[in-house]
Parts: sequence; structure tokens; C-alpha cells
Amino acid sequence: MVFDDRPNRTMTLHLLVWRQPNGQTHGKMVPYTAEGISPDMSFLEMLDVVNEGLIRKGEEPIAFDSDCREGICGSCALVVNGRAHGPDGGTTVCQLHMRRFQNGDTIAIEPWRARAFPVIKDLVVDRSAFDRIIAAGGYTSISVGGAPDANTTLIPKDTVEAAMDAAACIACGACVAQCKNASAALFTGAKISQLALLPQGAAERRRRALRMVRQMDAEGFGSCSWEGQCEAVCPKGIKITNIAKMVREYNRAATTGETS
Amino acid sequence: MGLEYATETKPHVMAPALWEEAPDSRLEARLPSGPLEQKWDRRKFDNRLIAPANRRRHTVIVVGTGLAGASAAAALGEQGYNVLAFFIHDSPRRAHSIAAQGGINAAKNYRNDGDSVYRLFYDTIKGGDYRAREANVYRLAQLSVNIIDQCVAQGVPFAREYGGMLETRSFGGAQVERTFYARGQTGQQLLLGAYQSMMRQVQLGTVTLHPRREMLDLVVVDGQARGIVVRNLLSGQIERYAGHAVLLCTGGYGTAYYLSTNAINSNVTAAWRAHKRGAFFANPCFTQIHPTCIPVSGEHQSKLTLMSESLRNNGRIWVPKKPGDRRPPDEIPEGERDYYLERKYPSFGNLVPRDVASRNAKEVCDEGRGVGESGLAVYLDFKDDISRLGKDVIRARYGNLFEMYERITGEDPYSTPMRIYPAIHYTMGGLWVDYNLMSTIPGLFVLGEANFSDHGANRLGASALMQGLADGYFIAPYTVADYLASARLPEVSPDAEPFRAAAAVVQARIDQLLGVRGDRTAHEIHRELGRVLWDHVGMSRSDAGLRRALTEISQLRQEFWERVIVPGSPDNQNQTLEYAGRVADYLEFAEVLTLDALHRRESCGGHFREESQTPEGEALRDDDHFTYVAAWEFTGVGAPPVLHREALEFEYAHPTQRSYK
Amino acid sequence: MATPSRTVSKSVLAPPAPPTQRRPYTSSVAPTRSYFNTSIGTKVLIGATGLLLFGYLILHLLGNLLVFLGPETFNSYSHLLIKNPLIVPVEIGLGAIFLVHIYKAVTNFIANRRARPVRYHRTAWTGRPSRKSLASSTMIFSGIIILVFVLIHLVQFKYGPEYVVAQGSSEAGVRDLYRLELEVFGNILNVVFYAFCMLVVGSHLWHGIASAFDSLGADHPRFTPLLLRVAKVVAAVIALGFMAIPFWVFFFARQGAVS
Repeated sequence: MVFDDRPNRTMTLHLLVWRQPNGQTHGKMVPYTAEGISPDMSFLEMLDVVNEGLIRKGEEPIAFDSDCREGICGSCALVVNGRAHGPDGGTTVCQLHMRRFQNGDTIAIEPWRARAFPVIKDLVVDRSAFDRIIAAGGYTSISVGGAPDANTTLIPKDTVEAAMDAAACIACGACVAQCKNASAALFTGAKISQLALLPQGAAERRRRALRMVRQMDAEGFGSCSWEGQCEAVCPKGIKITNIAKMVREYNRAATTGETS
Repeated sequence: MGLEYATETKPHVMAPALWEEAPDSRLEARLPSGPLEQKWDRRKFDNRLIAPANRRRHTVIVVGTGLAGASAAAALGEQGYNVLAFFIHDSPRRAHSIAAQGGINAAKNYRNDGDSVYRLFYDTIKGGDYRAREANVYRLAQLSVNIIDQCVAQGVPFAREYGGMLETRSFGGAQVERTFYARGQTGQQLLLGAYQSMMRQVQLGTVTLHPRREMLDLVVVDGQARGIVVRNLLSGQIERYAGHAVLLCTGGYGTAYYLSTNAINSNVTAAWRAHKRGAFFANPCFTQIHPTCIPVSGEHQSKLTLMSESLRNNGRIWVPKKPGDRRPPDEIPEGERDYYLERKYPSFGNLVPRDVASRNAKEVCDEGRGVGESGLAVYLDFKDDISRLGKDVIRARYGNLFEMYERITGEDPYSTPMRIYPAIHYTMGGLWVDYNLMSTIPGLFVLGEANFSDHGANRLGASALMQGLADGYFIAPYTVADYLASARLPEVSPDAEPFRAAAAVVQARIDQLLGVRGDRTAHEIHRELGRVLWDHVGMSRSDAGLRRALTEISQLRQEFWERVIVPGSPDNQNQTLEYAGRVADYLEFAEVLTLDALHRRESCGGHFREESQTPEGEALRDDDHFTYVAAWEFTGVGAPPVLHREALEFEYAHPTQRSYK
Repeated sequence: MATPSRTVSKSVLAPPAPPTQRRPYTSSVAPTRSYFNTSIGTKVLIGATGLLLFGYLILHLLGNLLVFLGPETFNSYSHLLIKNPLIVPVEIGLGAIFLVHIYKAVTNFIANRRARPVRYHRTAWTGRPSRKSLASSTMIFSGIIILVFVLIHLVQFKYGPEYVVAQGSSEAGVRDLYRLELEVFGNILNVVFYAFCMLVVGSHLWHGIASAFDSLGADHPRFTPLLLRVAKVVAAVIALGFMAIPFWVFFFARQGAVS
């Protein structure tokens, strides 16, 4: 395979990276220099280059989560210069490219910060709180077998599009990371909203809203202050109208004496 | 059977006979009798059952939580089995199934355009170039219908028409509109449906999640798969788990090529370690190259990004007629452009199957007509359809893809043609399984992309999601139950000797990786392995190239074990260690991949042997000699594997040479 | 070769352990909170009390603007209020609303701070479509300032000097709040203090009005964007309306009264 190298376009960047050996010890911001960075690299590829250098020196590389590197798995989770997923809106940090930066820039890289997302190592955090919120009720309680024909229930196109808007969530946690209250309202609201919009999910909408909100609170997330920073950093552009919908769903459930 | 792991450090010379032939194949596909359309029903009826009250006492280990794993865990949990689900990610929802963009096929015939179960079956067999089992494929086509129903009931927001009915589109050259989709995020939505169903079972207590665990060995007790050894990726602890059956749902091996559309953590390790324990590896040379990916921009590239194949519905592929033409695309007049797919394949045009499109792209680039700075790209031009349908229609269809392209390349595809190039995308090969999805190790089931699957030598677009979910929701629950009901399964403890021995082997390998303390990173060596495989075991393969690859692979493996450097400790999260372990397995696996490609001296599907082509340069199958599944038995690292053949019989879909002219 | 110290085993064939041990992912352990202690219930209370206080503020402003019509109108209006038998229960209610608003806002603020125990090294505002503003990020501070202001304001006016003026049919005369205003706002320090506090009130409302509706779940694809704009106009009008009084007194009314 032929790779084209364009040596003249490379940049040098000054990184400030959060290093923390594990959840039990304190961490700190550590400076690194990233040299020979091509503008065509993705942000994570830039970190790969830094890590390769560290490994060659026998030092522990910077731990960070990433997987698909195409913006859909939701693994990558970096706060870049105070902004979850970096300066570009509507994208994950794996899709952020270095052409967005200038030679000589200083870049601060931090993990998601929330009580509900404890740091595991360096830039890796534990987001299992999201899984527990889903486990509390983020599904339709139907089992395999016996589902009616898919066209039995007609769903208006607009409704299904709205549901898809909410369903696009990748559970990266940027909403929590950016929110001044570390609130998971956008994540939880999106799932409640998606399933409440669809006739298939409507049957247990009340129970779902009660249980998911209860779990969200138990995980130690903050509340919503309607600043919409979550929406601004959401890689999938999920709107805070989903939070209002969650409030309505929850209130409806709470006022109709629904239990469990 | 080689269980020796200690040979890796010894450089070895390939044996004079590269592989051995099994004197008599012990592969038993266990196909049901009777007419094609009744086979699955018969099997379901013949299967033994387990009474609901007894299911809880059966522990099923599921490794991987992609479409196949999550759906199997959910379905088995719903029935009441005690399911243990293991995955390397922090959440089951991050499995790479999530990245599938295009859609999922189903023979619903909602369009009244002539689709049927039989047609989907036929298209899949033909698309797979007659290297898949008829009975399996027919079952897949039958179940496709149920999958859509199931997913809609889960709340998957498939695209709909204004009337409220489900929308479908034509995909990847299909002549019927049978592909259901949820914007460009079908895989994500289907995975979330399966994930949510599984989380419901987690809540109900039937499924237990084991996040951030990497399976590093399979434990075989008295010839039966009875457990796994995993590394806790956070604490570094080696953990042992026992159960009554093990389901491997760990995906394909595309990242052997270093650059692929797979996620960077996708790996062959679980499948490979099972292979080392006796599970045969089938048809590894059947790899699929996806024609529409964003080209490589430099050495730093960590992965390739796929652009949905659906783009070919509205885009036209071309290169300049003149080699070395470096003009920008808008300065190349219409007359000097070569719309080579439309020219060569008038009836399918830009919608030829993936392997044909990919190989043609390589061909024109080899002729020096490639575009972009690297010369390794062709244009995918939307100009005609933008002027015919309007920018808004194109935006509605591909808006997010265009945005993604622009973000990665810095170019606007509305005004300048996209540059695309093929990349490894999917692997049809995998662990050999019988009709019940059980491998050659009793009790080890393999689902989804990890098995050698129903796609033969080439997979149709929008069929991977279908297969993963069919295996998980609708097949494994029946066949695993049958196994649990009919096999003798004495209680075993994870403290039993075979578990301790397997854990010791795992620990030894980890210590070995950390002990080399060399000067080369696993990434570097992986990148070199990828280059060897891409050059010689990629889109076009030759005897000489494959032999060269074998030598280079074994040299790289030697270099790896002499020079790799893995800093850090094994006692906490160590991503370098995880990665190095996977590369080590790829360096072993690459050999059987290459050998399989070498032994199959025909071209079929995704496997193109330069020695076997028509005068016009099209793939030429050799049905007389190669109508079989090649299943490889492990005999030791570097030692010649044993080739077992499972003959394929075609009673319904009679092989014809593919032609897309 | 084996290193048992690093090896643990999990028996999965043994009888199932209690749910909390066995299933860290199960969320059934989440306790049920009373509605008003949930994150949503808390915000509903803050929003609802906030809207009631906002309603009160509008009435208060409309009443106060009567000062421009001269002492007689203003004093008869205040007399009407003071002598109304409903005033005490209304004041108690208002106080209760105010206290609930403060209590929930403060506990909510503390809980929200706890949700992020380690702060960021560097922070940035995201820009659109975020509504974050100086006003939205200082709600707790503007709230505290308003609380202090309200206390001072009550001391200065409600519990201030009881000037009486003969007016109309009332034999005992009525409380001359007009004169009190002239006195208080005759002092430039008071004028500056009140003006500053009214800016703070405006800031609180700038974010508070629209988000109170959101906190109640009132959201509409067409009306919410409109509300977001109108709320800011209303916030500005209220702040400027209140602010107009001390300035008017200081620069115009006082001179008129003295001469």
C-alpha cells in the first residue's frame, strides 16, 4: 500500500493530559509534546502517535477509550479544551481532525467528570450508570417470538422520524460531561421520549418513565438547568425537547398513581 | 491436536508440506432431511426441549454482545436460562454491529415486486458464489421475516412512508426492494433493540453482564466446551467461568489487515483461542472488501471509514481515461472520463456486487488512473443526480454521510466528487459450525460473523445484520436447548484442573508478552502484517504472492516475539497489553488465512486468484474441484494444519457462473 | 507456571447469590423517592414557585408604577392593599412560596455541585444551540442577591417609618409610602443599590422565566422558541420598570416635591 507522506505540513502541539493511575489515586494534568502531527490525522490518531512514542520509551501510554473511530460506538470520551468531544459541534472526538488546530496550540485533554462516571484510569471513565438506567426500563417488554407483522401498526412518518431523532443517542456521555450539573437528563430523556412516541413502547410508558428517572437520580447525576450545553455537544444533535418530554412523561406517571 | 503455546518463541521454517489432508473428514453438518422449505421446521420439531422450570439450572456463556451475542443472550434469558454475557467494552451497546449503516434484508415482499423467501435464498446463494450451504441459507431467508417483526416490536424506528408502512429500498445490487433501514444507522438501532432486550433480562436476573472481560481461552472438559478463561481488563485478574455451553459471538477478523472498516478493538482472539482448542476454522480466505470507503490519507491512519454502499444508487464511479491525469475533477471534461463500471457492466452499472466493484477500482488504480494525492482512489460523483433530483433529495438521503466525508477529508461532496477506495469490511470465513451452529467442539456454538456463516464466498449487502440476528434470536435458542437437553453434562467447577491449566496457559502468555521488553510496538508490527496481507491476501491473490506472504508472516511473528515492547503491569488496565495479545494472535491466524487462500486455486466471491480468471479478467470458479467448505484443524503454531473438506451440494440453486454484464 | 494469586474463580453453577451481589447492573436497588425529592419533582417545584413569584412581580410592578400618577393615587392603592383582610394570608403564602423556591434551589444547587466532585481544568462555553448565558450560570448567585435585597427592601419599606398622611375619606389617614419612597430614593446610594438589584432580578428572570416552563415540561415546537425570546423581553421590561422608579424619584420627583 502506498502512503503519501506530506512532511512539510506537520504541526507540533503542546498537550496537557489528565493522568491518573487508577480510581483510588489522585491524578494531575501532565504536559506532553506531540510532534510531526499531520492535519489529516484524527484527534485520536494524534494521541496514538504520542502513545507510540511513550511505549517506545517504556512509559505507560495514555489510556483512553475508543473503538469504532467513526463516531457511532460512543466509546471515545474526551473533554478537549473544556469542551466535550472538542471544538466541532455534532461530532465525537474520534471524528475531530487535527486540521482544526494550529501549529503550536496548547490542548487540554480531560476525562468526563461526573460523580456517576468515576475515572478508571487516565481518560477512561466508568459509564455503566447509563446501562443501569436502560436496565431500569429502557425497552419494550416483549420477548422473542410472537411479534405481530411489522406493518400491523401503522406509524406516521413524522412520529417515527421524531423517535429516530431521539434514538440516535450513542450513550457517549458528552451531555453529562458538559452539563454544569453533570445531569443525565438528555440521555434518559432521549430513550423515554423515543419509546413513548412509538405505539410499541406506549404500553409501559409510565412504568418506564418512573423507573428510569428513579435510577438516573440514584446514580448521582445532577438535575437539568435548561442551559442546553448537552444539546450543543451531543454528537447526534439530540434536542433538549426530549428532556421536556421526559418531564411530562414522568409527571403523568407520577400523578396517575403508577407504582414500581 | 496442539495445545502447545510454548512454541511461539521458536522461529520455525514452514514445513515442506504446507498443510495436511485429513484422511477422512469428520465434519458432520447435521443437515435435516426433507424438502428445503421444511428442513428448519423438522429440525425444530426434532430438537429436544428443556422444561421451563429446569432452564435456570443451565448456564450459557455468551462471549460478545453484538447483534448475535446480545440477541442470543436476550432470547436465552427470556426462556429462563442462566446467561453470562462477556464483552470487552464498557457497555454491551458498543459492539461494532453498531456501525452497520445500510440496512437489513427481509423477504417481506411489502413492495409487491417479486420478492420471496425463495428469491432471497437464491440471491444469497448466488451472491455467495455457491460456496454456502443451501439449508442454512434457506433458513436464514425464512427467518428474515421474523426479524423485522421482532425489531419493530422492540421499538426500532425503521424508516416509514407517509402512510405509516415500512419503507424499503434496493441495496447492493438487489433487483427487489427488500432492505429495511433506520436512516444510516440501521446497525445501531438493531443493536440497541437487542441490547435493550438483553438489559431487560439483566434487570430480571436471567442475564449477568461481565463488562471489560476479554476471553483468552476456551476450557474443554472431556471433549465438551465447558467454560472460558477471561482477563478482567480493569483489574488484570485472570478469571475462570464454567457453564454448560459456550456461545462465541465475537465477530470477524478484518482487523488482521490492520486497516479495515472494523473497530480498532475488533479481534480474532476469542475465535483463535477456540481454534487452538480444537474448533476448526472454515474458509478464512473469504474476506469481503467494501468498495466505498474513504481512502487512506497517511501512515498514521488507524482505521478506514466506510461510506454506505447505498451511495452507489445515486453516485457514478469514474476515473480519468488517461493514466496520470492529475487535473482536478471539475477540469476533466465528460469525454475524458471513464465510467468504467457502467461501461463494463451495462445492466448493473455502478451497482455490481462489492467484490466486482472493488477489484475494478484496484484495476484502474493499478493502471495509473487512480485519483487523489495517493493515486489510490476513484471518484464517486453525485453531480448528475444532484441536478436531476435536486440537492435536497440527495441531502435527505445521504446528508449525514456527506457530512462525515467532509469532516474527515475536508472536501464538500456536493460540489466535488467523493474519493473512494476499497477496504476490508467483513469476513465470511470463521469457525466452522454445523446446521445447529455448533463447532467441532461439542457445546461450543458460534454465531454471527464469527462463524463461517451463510454468506459463502461473498456476502450480499444488508445481509450481515440479518444473519447475526437470525442466529441469536431464532436459531441458537432452539439448537442450544437441544444440546443442553441431549448431552451428558456432569457438573464441573471452575476450580477443576482443566480450568486451572487453561488459566496458567493464559497467564504464561501474558508474562511472555511483558517479558520480551524489546523496541518495537505492537502497532508497528500489526501495521506491517496488515500491509503484507493487503498486498498479497487482499483483493487479488496469486500463488507466488501468497507464498511470499507466508514467509513474511512467519518472519514478522518471530520479530514480534523477539522485539515487542509492552510497558506497564498486568495488574491493572493495560491497553498496550490487550492490543499486543491480539496482534500475537493475528500473527498466528494470518498463516491459516494465507494458506486457505493458497490452497483454493479458484476465484470465487471475495476470493480472487489471478490464476483463475476468464479471458475478460472476470473471476472464474472451479466447481469441479472446490465446491466444498475448507475447514482447518490446528496442529501447532507454524505447524501444517489439517484440511478437512465439507462437500457442498446444490439441489435447488444450481451453480452458474456469475455475470453482471 | 500458574500464578494463583492473580487468579480468581467464579462458580456459576452454585445456587444464585442474592441479587445485589450477583447483578451489579440491576437497578432494582434504586430507592423510591417522594416525587418532590426526585430531580424532576425538584425542578417542577422550583419552576412552579418561580412562575408564581414572577406573577407576583408583575403585579408588584404594576402597583408600583402608580407612583408616577402622584402621591394620592399611589397611597390609596397601597392603603387598599394594607387594609385588605386577605393581605396576611396572601403574604404568608407568598413567603412560603419564596421559601420553598429558595430551599429547593439551594438543595438542588448543592446536589448538582456534588454531581461533579472534581472540576475541569479548563472549561468552555459551547455556543449555540446552548442557551447558556451569564444569567443562566449565575442563577444561584442572583438568587442569593435577590434574597438579601428582599430582606433590605422589606425593612426599608414594609417595616420602614410609618408616615401618615390625611387623605380622602380615611379618618386616621393613610400610610404615606410616597413620602417614604422620596426619602429612600433621595439617597444616591439607595438608588444605585436598587438599580443594581433590579439588574440582578432581570438576570434571574432572563433565564428563569423560560426554563420554568421547561421544568414543568411545557415545551412546544413553535411556542417554545417564541417564549425564549419573549421571556427575555419581559425580563428586561420588569427590570427596567422597577429601576425607573428610583431614578425618576432621584432626578425628577424629589425636586418637584422639594420645590
